[in-house]
Amino acid sequence: MTGPTPTPPVERIGARTTLQKLLSRFHFGITLFAVALSGLTILLAGVTALRGYADRNMELAAQLGAYGVEPALVFNDPQAVREGLEPLTRIPGIARLRVLNDVGRPVTEWISPAADPAPTLTRIFFPRPFAVTVQRNGSAIGTIEVWGDSSTLIDYVRLGLLAGLGCLLITAFGTIFLARRFEYELVKPLNEIATVAHDVRLHRRFDKRVQPLGIAELDRLGGDINALLDELQGWQGHMESERALLAHRASHDTLTALPNRDAFDEQLAQRIEAAARRGSRFALLFIDADNFKAANDNFGHAAGDAVLVALSARIQDALRKGDFAARIGGDEFIVIVELDDEVHPEGLASRIRTSVAEPILLPGGETYRAAVSVGVATFPDNGSDATALLTAADAAMYADKLTNRSR
Amino acid sequence: MLAPLFLIGALVTTPQMSVQAANQTAVEDGSGGMPRAVNRMVGGIVSYARWPTGSAATARTMCVVGAPRLTDRMAPDVPGPGSVTVRRVTTASVTPECDILFLGRMPVADRRQLIAWVRGRPVLTITDDDAACIYGAMFCLSNKAASISFSVNIDAIGRGPLRIDPRVLRIGGGEGGAS
Repeated sequence: MTGPTPTPPVERIGARTTLQKLLSRFHFGITLFAVALSGLTILLAGVTALRGYADRNMELAAQLGAYGVEPALVFNDPQAVREGLEPLTRIPGIARLRVLNDVGRPVTEWISPAADPAPTLTRIFFPRPFAVTVQRNGSAIGTIEVWGDSSTLIDYVRLGLLAGLGCLLITAFGTIFLARRFEYELVKPLNEIATVAHDVRLHRRFDKRVQPLGIAELDRLGGDINALLDELQGWQGHMESERALLAHRASHDTLTALPNRDAFDEQLAQRIEAAARRGSRFALLFIDADNFKAANDNFGHAAGDAVLVALSARIQDALRKGDFAARIGGDEFIVIVELDDEVHPEGLASRIRTSVAEPILLPGGETYRAAVSVGVATFPDNGSDATALLTAADAAMYADKLTNRSR
Repeated sequence: MLAPLFLIGALVTTPQMSVQAANQTAVEDGSGGMPRAVNRMVGGIVSYARWPTGSAATARTMCVVGAPRLTDRMAPDVPGPGSVTVRRVTTASVTPECDILFLGRMPVADRRQLIAWVRGRPVLTITDDDAACIYGAMFCLSNKAASISFSVNIDAIGRGPLRIDPRVLRIGGGEGGAS
C-alpha cells in the first residue's frame, strides 16, 4: 500500500541516568561486595578459631574432670564422682558428661538442663565426645567423656553477624561520603566543559574557554575544546569581516566609495520619516556633470574615472557632518542636507559649482575643468515622498543644465 | 593449675547432686569381697600420700599393730607402680622403718603411745577401730551395711610432715571428718 517507511530519526533514550547515579551505584556495588566478602572471611576465620578454642575448652574440661574424679574412681565412690564432676557443669558449652570405670561400665552421667539451641550445628562441630583416660600412677582406672554444644559458637556467630551488620552500615556511610566526593571531583570539571560547550552553541560566545582542570584526561579534553574554539573564533571573525565587506560593497560605489543608489533610497526613506516626525526640513541636491561623455571620450576612461573621484571628493568637502552624499548613476550624484537657518540650498549649490570648477589633474598630466548642473528640491515644500522629491530635483537639475547650455 | 582451685571452690559450696553418704564403697558379695574392698581402699589412701623422701613408686612398709577388725588378710592394692609390704608388729617393736601404721583393735594406752610416737614423723596412720575418727589416726575405716567408708582427721594430718592429696581429704570429709 505504501512505500517503504522512512527510517525513523534516532530517538534519544528516554530514561537517561546521570554520571553521578552511575558512579554511586557502581561504588555501592563494589563496597557491598568487599564488605560482604571480608565479613564472611572474618566470620569463617572466627568460627574456625572458635572451634579450636571450643575443642581446647572441651579438652581442658575433660582433663579437669579426670583430675577431679580420679580419687573417687580409686575408692569406687559414685557420689564422689558426681561431686568431682560438679565444677565442670558450670563451664559453658558442655552438653553432657559421662564417667566410665576401669571395665567400661558407666559410673555417673550428667546432661545439661539447657536445651541445645542448634543440634545440627552441634553434630557438625562436635560429632564425637572428648574422652580422657583417668589414670592413677600410670594405670588406667576409668574414662571421662565430654560432649560439647554449640551455644558459645552460636553466641559468637550472632555477635559476629551483628558486628558485621554494624560494620556494613558504617562502611556504607563512609562509601557514600567518599563516592560523593569522588563524583564531585569528576562531575564538576565535566559540568564546566558542558557549560562552555552549551554557551558557545546557544549564545555564540566564541570567546569562552575551559579553565585548566585537575584531572589529566579531562584537562586534555578541555584543551582540545579550547583549540577547537580558537579555530571557530578565527572563522567567525573572518566571516564577520567578509560579511561587512560584502555589505559595504552592496551599498557603496567601488570607484568613489560613496554610497550607491540602493543605500541612497534607504537613506532617503529614513530621512523623510525622521523629518516628517520632527517637522524639520531637508533639501535634496541632484548633481549631474556637464559634458562628462565628452571628457570620457577625449581623455579616456581612466581620466573619466579620475574626474568622477575628484567630483565626489569635492562634493563631500562642501558638506557638513550630518549630510549625505551618494553616487546614483554614471555621473550623477545626490546630496541630502539638513536645512536650518544657516544653510541655504542655493548657497550650497553654488559652493559646489565653484569647488568643482577648480582644475582637475588627470592621469595623463592634463588638467580638466569640470562643470556640474545642480537641481534642488526641499522637503516638504517640493514633495513629501521620495519619488516626488526626486522628480522635483531632477526637473530642477535639467532646468539648470539648460541654463548652463544656453550660457 | 586451676583445677585445685576449682576443687577448693567445690569444697566450700554445697554439691547440687542428690545427697548420699560420702565415700560409699560397695562391697562385692562373696567371701573375698570385704578383704578386697579394704585392701583397695587402703591402697588408694597410700597412693594419695606423699612422703618427704622417695617417689610414688617407692615400696612402703606397713606395720600392722593390734587386730584389724575388717579383714585379717591385709595386702593393700596400690594402683600404679607403688607397692606395700605388710609386717605384723607389737606396740613395743614399732620402728622408724614403718612408713604406714595400721592400728587394729588394741588397748587405749598403746594407741595413745603410738599416736604420740607418730607426731612429727612421716608416718601414715590408718585405723579400722575408730568410726568417729577422734583418737588421732589420720584415716579411719568403717563399715556400714554392705559398704565400707573412710573418714579423715585433718588435725592429725596437719601435725605431720606427710602430705595428703586434698582430693582425698574432700572425699573423706564427706562424712564430717573428725576435726
